[in-house]
Amino acid sequence: MNNIPLVIRREYVTRVRKKSFWLLTILVPILLALVYAIPIYLALKPIDKSVILVADESGVFGGLDRDDMQRGDSRFVSTDGIEYRYAATFDYARRTMDADDEVTAIVYIRSRASEALPTDACLYYRRNLPSQQVRSDVDRQLQRILRNRLLQAHGISDDEYAMITGTKINLRTQDFETGREAFTEVKTALGLVLAMLIYVAIFMFGSQVMRGVVEEKSNRIVELIVCSVKPFQLMMGKVVGIALVGLTQFMLWVALTGIAVGGIQVANSDLFSTATARHNITELATKGDDAAAQMQQAADMSDLPQIVEGIASIDFGVILPVFLFYFVFGYLLYATLFAAAGAMSDSDTDTSLFSLPVTIPLLAVILMMPAMIDAPSGTLSQVLSVIPFTSPVAMMIRVPFGVSLWQLWLSMALLVATMPLCTWLASRIYRANILRYNILAKFRRK
Amino acid sequence: MKLQANNIHKTFGGFKALDGVSLSVREGSVFGLLGPNGAGKTTLLRIINRIIRPDSGELLLDGKPITDEQVRTIGYLPEERGLYKKMRVGEQAIYLAQLRGLSRGEATMRLRRWFDRFDITEWWNRPVEQLSKGMQQKVQFIVTVLHEPSVLIFDEPFSGFDPVNATLIKNEILALRDKGATVILSTHNMSSVEELCDDIALIDKSHVVLNGSVSQIRRSYSKNLFEVVVDDGAVMQLTPTGGGSANDLLADLMKHHSIVSFREILPSMNDIFVETIAGNK
Repeated sequence: MNNIPLVIRREYVTRVRKKSFWLLTILVPILLALVYAIPIYLALKPIDKSVILVADESGVFGGLDRDDMQRGDSRFVSTDGIEYRYAATFDYARRTMDADDEVTAIVYIRSRASEALPTDACLYYRRNLPSQQVRSDVDRQLQRILRNRLLQAHGISDDEYAMITGTKINLRTQDFETGREAFTEVKTALGLVLAMLIYVAIFMFGSQVMRGVVEEKSNRIVELIVCSVKPFQLMMGKVVGIALVGLTQFMLWVALTGIAVGGIQVANSDLFSTATARHNITELATKGDDAAAQMQQAADMSDLPQIVEGIASIDFGVILPVFLFYFVFGYLLYATLFAAAGAMSDSDTDTSLFSLPVTIPLLAVILMMPAMIDAPSGTLSQVLSVIPFTSPVAMMIRVPFGVSLWQLWLSMALLVATMPLCTWLASRIYRANILRYNILAKFRRK
Repeated sequence: MKLQANNIHKTFGGFKALDGVSLSVREGSVFGLLGPNGAGKTTLLRIINRIIRPDSGELLLDGKPITDEQVRTIGYLPEERGLYKKMRVGEQAIYLAQLRGLSRGEATMRLRRWFDRFDITEWWNRPVEQLSKGMQQKVQFIVTVLHEPSVLIFDEPFSGFDPVNATLIKNEILALRDKGATVILSTHNMSSVEELCDDIALIDKSHVVLNGSVSQIRRSYSKNLFEVVVDDGAVMQLTPTGGGSANDLLADLMKHHSIVSFREILPSMNDIFVETIAGNK
C-alpha cells in the first residue's frame, strides 16, 4: 500500500493549522496594503503648517530689495504647508523664533562682500529638525530665485528658458526584424520581481522541508515511521505536502492583498473612481510630499504611457507558464536536497552547515544578478539560465526579454532531467543518514 | 508465525555489525534478544524491519522470504522512539495506525478502547509535549500493537516506566503471546527476561554466543547448588560432594534432618549474561 497520501496530508494539515501560518498569511497582505496605502494617506492628510523666517542680508532673495516686492520669481513664495515670512535682521528673526512656537526655522543668507551671488545659506532650527519636505522646499526656492536672477542678468526670457530646459528626446530600443520596442526598464523590473519570488519561495519552503526532517530526526519518531513508510516516500510526502502549503499560502496572499487593496480603493473612491486616478496621484505627489514624490517619479506623466505600453507589450501568455514551471521544478529540485541536508543534521543548529552546499548556487545567482540585468542576453545570462541549479532564478531575468526557443527547451529539459537524479541522490543521503546521529561530531574527529 | 534469520551479515564502513547471525523464533513465543551495548541488536532489529538491508543472509517467515507487505505489518517499538511534539495525542496515534494500514474509523475505535484500558483517555486532545515520558511510552506501545500484528518487536519496552506500568506492559506482552503473536524482546532488564522469555539469543561482538530456551540455558549453567530448608528452620546452600547427584545429596541429608524444602538454585540470567560476555573477551 502507498502511504504517501497519508504523509502529505499530515504535513499539510499540521502546518496549515499552525498559528504562525495564519499570522504570516495575514501579515504579508497587510504589509503590502500599507505600502500601497501610506503614500496615498500621506498625500491626502492635511499638512502641518510651518512658518519659516527668511533673514536675507544679501538682498538677492528679496530681503532688502524693496523694489522687488511684487516680483514673486525673486522671492520666497509660501506654499500650502509652509509660510515664508521675511525678517529684517537675523537677530530679529532669532528673537521671533524664541517667542513664537509656530516658527520652526530661519533661512539665513549672509550679506555679501562683492556683487557675486551667494553660494551659502543656512537653515537654523530650534529643537525639532525641520521635515525633509521643508528642507527640500527651502532648497528649491533658493535655487529658483538664483536661477531667475541669472536669467534676468543674461536677458533670457521665461519662454526662452522653458524652451531650452524643456528638450526631451525619447530613445527607443527596437527590434530590427519585428519592429517591436524593447521596453527595457519595465522588463527588467518584471524579471527582477519574478526572480526574487522564485528565490524567496525556494529558500522559504526548502528550509521548511529541512526543518521538518530535522524535527522528525531529533524527536526520534523517524524510526517508528520508516518501518511502515519507505524513507523515499516519507521524503517525497514531506516535499509535496510543504509545496501544497506554499501554494495555499501564495494564493491566500494574492487573494487577501487583492481584497485589501480593493478595500483601500473603495474607501477612497473619489480618488480612484475615474480614469484620472493616476493623474490624481500625480497631482497629489506634486504637492511635494516625499513618499508621494517617489510615486510621482514612477508615474511621471511623460513616462506613463510608455510604462503602460511596455506592460502591454509583455507576453504574459508565455511568461506565466514559464514562471510556474520554474517555480514548481526549482522548488522540487532544491527541496529534496534540503531534505538530504536535514537528514545529516541532528539539530537546527547543524542545518546551517549542511545546507551550505545546497544554498551556494542560489546565492551565486543572486550575486550575479546585476551583471545579468545589465545584459539579459549575454553569455553569463545564457549559461546561468541553462544550468539546472541556477536556471529557475536566472531564467526569470531573461524571460521578459524573450529567450530563443531552443535555449528555453534545453534549460527546461535539463531541469526536468536533473530532478530525478537529484531526488535519487538526495533520497540516498536521506536514507543513509536519517537514523544516524552525531554525524557532525564524526566529521570533526576525522 | 515462525521467524527465521539465516546467516545475516552487515558491515558499516569497515565495522562488522553482524557477522553470520542466525536465529529462529517459534510461533507464539517470546524471544529475548540480549547483548551488551553495541553488540548489533538494534542493527538486527532494523534489518528484520527492512529499515536497513543486510549485506547477505535471508529472513524467512514461516519458511518463505518476508514480503514488503508483511514487513509493514510487523509491530515494531524501536529503542530510539519519539512522537511529534506539537501534534495532539489522539490525532497522532490515528496517523501512525493509518500508516500501518488501519482505516481511520477502525483506528479511532481501537484507540479509544486502549486509551481507556491504559487510563490515558483524558490526554486524547492534549499535545504530546505535555505528556510525561511514561505516558508517551504508553502511547507508543499502544500504537505498536494496535493493528494486532502477528510479529511484534520490542526494543527496551520497559525503559521510562515505573514498576506498576512496567508490570502492566509485561502482562500485555504475555497476553499478546497467548493470542498467538510471535514476540522478539530486546532488553537489558534480565529479570524480565526470566519472567517473559521462552528462548533467548545472546549477541556479543556481532556473533550469537548463546542461544536456546531460557530453562535449558539456566540448567546448562547449573552450578549443582541446592537450597535446603529443614524442620528446625535452618536454610542451607549445598553442593553434592565428589560430583554426586542431587539424589546423593538428598539421601545424605535425610539421614540427619527432616526436610521441608529442597530445590536447585539455578544461576540468574544476569549471572549467565555477565559470565558469558566476560568469557568472550
